[in-house]
Parts: sequence; structure tokens; C-alpha cells
Amino acid sequence: MQLGVNIIVLAAIYALIACGYVLIYRVSRVLNLAHGELMMLGSYLLLATASTFTGHPLVAIAVALVLSLCVGALVYLFLMRKMAGEMVLAAVLTTIALGILLRGVMVIVWSAQQQYPGQALGVVNPAIALPGGARISTMAALLVLATAVIYGALFAFLRFSRWGVRMRAAGQNPLLAAQRGINLHAIYALAWGLSTLTGSIAGMLISLDSGLTGTMVLIGLKAFPAALVGGLDSLVGALFGALIVAAAEISLIHYVDPLLSDVVPFLVLIVMLIIRPWGLFGTREELDRV
Amino acid sequence: MSRRMPWASGYFRTGYAQDFKLIETRLERVSAGLFAVALSVFPFVASPFQLDLACQVFLAAIGSLSLMLLTGYAGQISLGHAGLLAAGAFTAGILFKEFGAPFWVTLPAAAAVGALLGIVFGLPSLRLRGLYLAVSTLALHFVVVYLGGEYETKRGYSTGIVIDPPSIGGYAVINPRIWYFVLLAAAAATLFICLNLIRSRTGRAWRAIRSHETVAEALGIGIASYKLLAFVVSSAITAVAGALFAYYRGFVSVEAFSLFLTIQYVAMVIIGGMGSLLGALLGAMFVTLFPYWIEAALAALPGAARYASVLFAVNYAAFGLVMILFLVFEPLGLVGIWHRIQTFFLLWPFKHRQVTGTNR
Amino acid sequence: MRASKIAFAALAATLAVPAVAQDAYVVGITSALTGPPASTYAPAMEALQIYIDRVNAAGGVNGKQIKLVILDDSAEPSKATANVKRLLTQDNAVLLVNASLSSTYAPIVGEAKRAEVPLLFASGVCPREVYPPADPLQFCTTAYAATYDSRGALTFVKETSKQPVQLGLAAMAIPLSRAEMDFAEQQAPSFGMRVVDKEVIPPPTPDYTPFATKLKEAGANWVFSWAPWVTQVRTLEALRRLDWAGDYITWAHLESEGELVRLKDGKLFVIGANSLFQDNLPIHREIADAAKKANAKYPAQQMTEGWIAGMVIEAALKGAGWPTTPAKVQASMQNLKVDLKGLRGGQIEWTKDNHFRTKQYYRVYRWDSAKSVIVVAKDWYSYDVK
Repeated sequence: MQLGVNIIVLAAIYALIACGYVLIYRVSRVLNLAHGELMMLGSYLLLATASTFTGHPLVAIAVALVLSLCVGALVYLFLMRKMAGEMVLAAVLTTIALGILLRGVMVIVWSAQQQYPGQALGVVNPAIALPGGARISTMAALLVLATAVIYGALFAFLRFSRWGVRMRAAGQNPLLAAQRGINLHAIYALAWGLSTLTGSIAGMLISLDSGLTGTMVLIGLKAFPAALVGGLDSLVGALFGALIVAAAEISLIHYVDPLLSDVVPFLVLIVMLIIRPWGLFGTREELDRV
Repeated sequence: MSRRMPWASGYFRTGYAQDFKLIETRLERVSAGLFAVALSVFPFVASPFQLDLACQVFLAAIGSLSLMLLTGYAGQISLGHAGLLAAGAFTAGILFKEFGAPFWVTLPAAAAVGALLGIVFGLPSLRLRGLYLAVSTLALHFVVVYLGGEYETKRGYSTGIVIDPPSIGGYAVINPRIWYFVLLAAAAATLFICLNLIRSRTGRAWRAIRSHETVAEALGIGIASYKLLAFVVSSAITAVAGALFAYYRGFVSVEAFSLFLTIQYVAMVIIGGMGSLLGALLGAMFVTLFPYWIEAALAALPGAARYASVLFAVNYAAFGLVMILFLVFEPLGLVGIWHRIQTFFLLWPFKHRQVTGTNR
Repeated sequence: MRASKIAFAALAATLAVPAVAQDAYVVGITSALTGPPASTYAPAMEALQIYIDRVNAAGGVNGKQIKLVILDDSAEPSKATANVKRLLTQDNAVLLVNASLSSTYAPIVGEAKRAEVPLLFASGVCPREVYPPADPLQFCTTAYAATYDSRGALTFVKETSKQPVQLGLAAMAIPLSRAEMDFAEQQAPSFGMRVVDKEVIPPPTPDYTPFATKLKEAGANWVFSWAPWVTQVRTLEALRRLDWAGDYITWAHLESEGELVRLKDGKLFVIGANSLFQDNLPIHREIADAAKKANAKYPAQQMTEGWIAGMVIEAALKGAGWPTTPAKVQASMQNLKVDLKGLRGGQIEWTKDNHFRTKQYYRVYRWDSAKSVIVVAKDWYSYDVK
């Protein structure tokens, strides 16, 4: 029973982070390898707002969320926009460089110490007993809930709202979308903003659950196989990919060797890439034409 | 030998033999000679610290040249470079520790392991392209590092495997000056291998694949074998660089082969300038020395020591910033800047090259 | 090719630094100030800097100032080697200090040996060479010590536990921590304990619950963890969330004092060699004042380790006289006694073949929920280092 709960919590973490990768890739075909850093920045923003708005945790959280949305959009407007039309590798490398820059800046501002946003916010994190003898911490439960709500909202947004439809159109064929009068830059900025927002939510909840250190960047990277296994341009895929990777990881920790958990997501990934490179639910890249 | 044309000055090749020449003009011969002299005098005037930096640059140059072959010429993106360096270093370390093997066994063995891993790293390239390929090589990086870590722990070398310096005829190579020349020779040999590869049939095939895979296939180029060959050659050279690194530092440990190392090598290729061997050399030099420049610049600020921990984070951030600036404002890299300077002097006092064809 | 020549000339020009006449004791430091493990080393280095600044302000040692040259190695071996080369050849350091991950040790030791400059390990784990019979050039002030720590912890567990001990062990997936937990696993039977589970946890783990689940399900009533603080504390928190009611003993890293207060867990024991600020000795107040005055980035509670290194360096340089050479510093260090004024259970004493300390003292602290303060669970006890 506890095993099942563990899998669901880990899958929710991976899924929530992975949807950030998917949102950007789906719209602009750029892989954002600074996602882990942006996620960590979100958690640090929460730490900062928590000490500014002491006593008003909800205000602090709301401000931190808005800020992280803005950070994402600004990253696009001031940096990634300039990379339009460059090689894919160059764009990916730009995100890596951005990650290095952010990491340095975060150490300058907040030092390398372990921090506890939960303490600063004054929220407590008691465990909840579930039927069947399993237990889950409040923040982990919130994280699962947040993942469900965010995925639901994203599906609805992409299917029914005007901006969501525009976003899908831009992802499918940017040229035609632009000719229909869709403002591509606004769409891309929105995608970056949403991606950073969801990543930050994941980062905030993880850091509220267990503290905030430099290793959060690596967690961002570990969620990456989940996105790829499911298919980089599919939200449903990210959900299933996260579940598969989490289940593989937890059962290996439990039944085989915990050390393998570091490598296994990537092994699952290699197998997937060889059998079905575009992932479980991803779209196949178009054939080359001469 | 070149036929002078009435309407243009410059140097033109008129025969195939000239196409294959490495050194074409007298100026080039003279400057290459001067350069060789400068390189061989350097260790006798440099401080040990500068000597160490030069050795680091040579090691980085070997690695960046091999990555340039793969990414800059054959167009295959790899994020497994640190994994391959680790594989080479561990091959040398393990063979030394387990069998006491001398360097003339471990270096070829490292090359062989590298070539083998090249096939493994390269296999996904037959099905995957671009980002997906990058990710699959990244996955292999984690596997190699995991295996290395397991070896270290299981054999009780938890602070790394210490390797004796290589000995030639009973004489151990410890002197930094000798190391300088050993590494210089290795870097030069790598450069010549690369030069020869890219001006041969193989190099042309790789460039065709990079430009357009489907067209290359239609031209009768065996895509699969040439792609694999690129991986094999590049990985073998990289693994040798890893083994040399192990000998130079005198030890091997997984911590030395982080993902950041891969990023540094990719940065060398990008900052240097994609698709140019000169770019690989310039990039290796720039990325290796950049942290020291920043450090020196920061140390010049007042009260530097007091805020040490912050200043080093600044160094880290500055590396990211410079990479971004290069990517955004100088996509051609250092080699692009170099060519612009060349053109400026070539055309001086004019600003623009004459539009070709107007005189015909 | 021509471009590289120009660039090379430029390189040679930029790196040519004029030699400075020595008018101070130069201590060269390479430390992991950035990178993932920085939180262990950066506070210690800040403390060392504050301590040495105070010594300098008070007139220095033997009338000369101490100049600290701190370089960052991000815990990367190659960067550390380059740093040490620079410290030795450019700054002419008479004493080297390493405060970084153990993977940087091997190459640095090689450089130090070649130059015959003494090397002090401060706040990183002590290498085997500082224990008797010690390597002439290597010294260590770090509190924690492989194998002694496990024995100290298991002794405490044996004395404290009223029931038969079912021991769980938790390591981080780094060689050092794994080796120590393997050692504890071997030793446990001789203490009459049964090891029911040993978890090796990779550092970037988003959720520690799966590992905690295994420890709990294996039926552990005591868990011992000797790893970086992150792993130690997150494993405990995950265990508590699973409603595990056993006792937990773990190493008292720099962060432990703040963390004991944060966790308020009556069954968490931290074993360490440094006294906590809770004791409020004069020396603790002195450190706190100095940290406040210097507007320190890290809390004073994390400064003990760096402070001790500072005291030892001051004493070593004092004994070396002026003008000094690395050999004189080394000779002074080989015959050194430093009174730590209560920061540890006893003094640091180095002899010709013991560069660690002659007695390793331990003290165990825990949180007293009733009184809402940190209390001593077991006062100083020691092991002879042979």
C-alpha cells in the first residue's frame, strides 16, 4: 500500500516537472535544459516573498507564482527570442548557459545553504494517514492534487480556450499560424511563462516538503526521461511517462538495489528511444523531403 | 604557381595537388614555423602555473577536436563526452591497478574501449536525430559514470584511483616540461588526424550527412556506416584524451567527469565556431582559461578576499553569461571573429568585398 | 594556427604576474565554495577568514600579517590541482589548506609533496595518512573521522537502548559514506546488534519516502546515518512521516544545531566532536560576536570548524617564527598543542607520527521536548588514536 502511495507521489513530482518541458517543446521545438534552475528559482522566490509578507502565506505564495510566470515570459522575450532561426543545438545550449548563469546568481543572492521556505511561511507539514496503513505528508498530498488540477486545467486550456488553440496551432505549423494573424512571440512567451509557473509550483511544493538545496536542479534533470518516454510533445505522454519511470524506479529501490534508481530512468529512456524514438504518445517527426 | 588574374588579387588553386596541401603559401610556412618555435620555447620561459594551464589547454584541445569531428563535421549531437573521457580514464586506471599495465598498453586499450563505446553511443544515431540523439548519449553518460563509481566503491578506492606516472625506458614522466611536450605532441597528432580525415572522402561524406541526410543518401553515401565511423573515431580519440588526463593528474575519480564537463566541451565547440578545427582549438583555449581570467579580474577588485564565496559564484555566473553572449551575438564563434579580422585587413582600405560576377 | 599563436602570446602576457616580495605568512586554500557540496565548506572558510582577520587586526603573528589566498575548486579535482599549482608557484604559500571533497585529495597531495609544503585538511574528511604512522606533510583538524565515528555512535546506541537493537543504516551514494556504513555493518554484531537494512541513497533524490519505507518495513528500531546532512535529515523526516517511532543517531554536521531546534524531535541524537553553541561557553560568545561584527553570511553556529582551523593555523605559524619556510611550518606543526577552549572535548595535539589528534572525543546531543532546549545526551567520551 505504502509502495503504491510512493509511486504516485514520485510520479506526480515527475509529471509536474515534465509538463514544463513538454509545454515549451510542443510550441517551439526547443528543449529547455534550464528547467531545473528555473524551478529552483521559483522556490527561492517563494522564500523571498515569505520573508517580505510575513504572516500572510497566501499572499506570499500568490506573489511568488506571479513572479515566476513573469520570469518565464521574460526569459523568452529577452533571451530565447534572439535564438529564433538558429540551430537546435544552439538554442538548447543557450538554455544550458542560462541555467549556469542562474545557478551562479542564486548562490550569490541566497548562498549555498539549505533553506526551509516552510518555516519562513509558517506552514506545517503533518502526515496524513490513508486507509490501508499508508501515510503521506500534507505537502506530498498537495503535490499530487496540484498535478491533477494543473493537468486538468492545461487540457481544458489547450482544447477550449482561444489562446490554447492558438498555442496548438503555433506548435503544429508556425508559418501558417503566423499568417492567420497569431502573434507567435506572445504565444511563445506564454508557453515559457506557463512552463516556468508549473515548474516553480513543483519546486515550491518539494521545498515546502523537504527543504531547499542545490540538488533541486538535478531533480529537474531526473524528470526529463519521464517527458521523453511519454513523447516530448504530448501532455498525456508526460503523465504516463512519469508513471512508468516512477514505478520502475520505486520498485527497483524496493526489490533490487536502491543504487540503481539513479540510472534506471535513463535506461528506460534508452530502451524507449531505440524502440519508439518519438515516445509513447508523441508525434512522429515528418519525413525529410529533398 | 597560381595564375594571376587581371581583375583580382589573391591566391587561387589550379590543380588537385594543391588542394591537398596543408601549407600553401610562404607566409603560412613562415608563420607555422614561428608558431612551432614559440610553442617549443614557451615551457622554458613560463612559470609552472602557466605550464599547467598550457597542458590543460592541450588536453582540452584533444577532446574538443574529437567533439568537433562528431558535431561540427558529421552533425551528430553528443552529450556523452564526459562519459567517454571517463571511460578512457577508467580503462587506464583499472588496467594499471588490476594488472599493473604500462601506458603503452593502457593507451591503446583506452582507444579500443572508446571505439567500442563509440559503436554503442552511435547505434541510436541510426534511428535518432538532433535532440533525441543528444538525450540518448546523455543516458549513456550516466551509465558509464555509474559503472565507474561502482568500481571505485567495490574495490575500496573511495578517494579515487591513484596512477603512477608513465615511464619511458625506466624514466618516469613527472617533469612538467616533458609533460608539456608529450601533450603538445598528442594534441598536434590529433590535429593532423582530424585535418587528414576532413579533407578525405570520409570528411566529405560527413559534411554531406550534416548538410542533408536524405540528399547524402541519394548521392550514394552509406549513411549508417559513416555515422558509426564518426562516433567510433571521435570516441576513440576522446577516450585517449581521458587516459592522458588520468596520467597527467595521476589519478582517476568519477567526480571529475560531471555533466558540467560535457557542457564545457560543447561550449568549446560552440564558442570556438561550429565546423572549424581552428575553432575547436580556440574554443578549448578560451573555455579552459576563462575562469582564470575572471578570477584575476575579480581579485583585482578591492576587498576581494572577504567576499570570496560570492566572487566565485560570480565566476560561475560569468561563464554562463559569456556563453549566452556568444550564442546570441556571435553564432559563428571565435573563428567568426577571426575571419572578420582577416577580411578587414585583406580588404583594407575598403569595407566590403567586391561582389563577384560583376566583372565577368 | 596563426590565430592560436597570437592568442598564445596574449595568454602569456596576461598571465605574467610580477613576483611580490613576501612580507606576510601566505596560507593558500583550495575549497569547494561553489558546487553542490559547498554548504559544508563555505561556512568554515568564512569562519577561518574572520578568525584570521581578527588575528591580523590584533597585530598578526610574530609581528607579521597572515595572508589567506582562498581559491574555489567547485569540488573538481582538476580545478583543485590547478589552484594548488598557482598557490605554490605564484603565491609562494608556506602552508596549504584543503577544504573540499575527498576526490580532490590525491592530486593535491602529489603537488604538496613535490613542493614539500605542509597540507592541512580542514572541514573535509581526514585522509588515512594523518593517522599514525602519519605522512610528514599531511595534517587534519576536521571533526569527523572514519571508523572512529561509527564506533562512537554504536557504543552510544548500545548504552542507551533498553531493547535488543535492530539497526538500520542510511548512506549517501558517495564512496566515503558507503564505506563508513559498510564498516558499521561489520562492527554491529560485535556490539550485539542486528543490522536489518542498509540503504544507499543517491544524492538527487526528490522523495526519500521509498527508502524510509524499506527501513521501517525491515523493522529497524534504531537508525544510524553517517552521510552529508541532506541525506541524514531527509531520511529522518521521511521516517517520521511514516509514523516510525524509533531512535535516530546521526553525525553532528555544521547545520545540526539549527536543525535540532527546527525538528524538535526527542528521539534524534546527534553525535559530534564539536560542542554546540547551546553550551554558551565564553568561546562561543566570542565567535558569535565576531561573526556579527563581520556581518557574516553564515550563522555563527556553523563556524566552529573554521574557527578551530584558524586557531591551529595561528599556533602553527607562531611556532614557525619569522622569516619562515614551509619546512619550518611543518616542523612547528609536528609538535603542536592547541587548547580549543571547550570547542572540543580536549586539545588538538600533533606529534611526529600522529597528525590527527591523540584522543578523539565525542559528545551526543539531543532535543529535550519537555524543556524545549538542546541537552547533552552523553558527555565527552574518547578513543585513543593509535
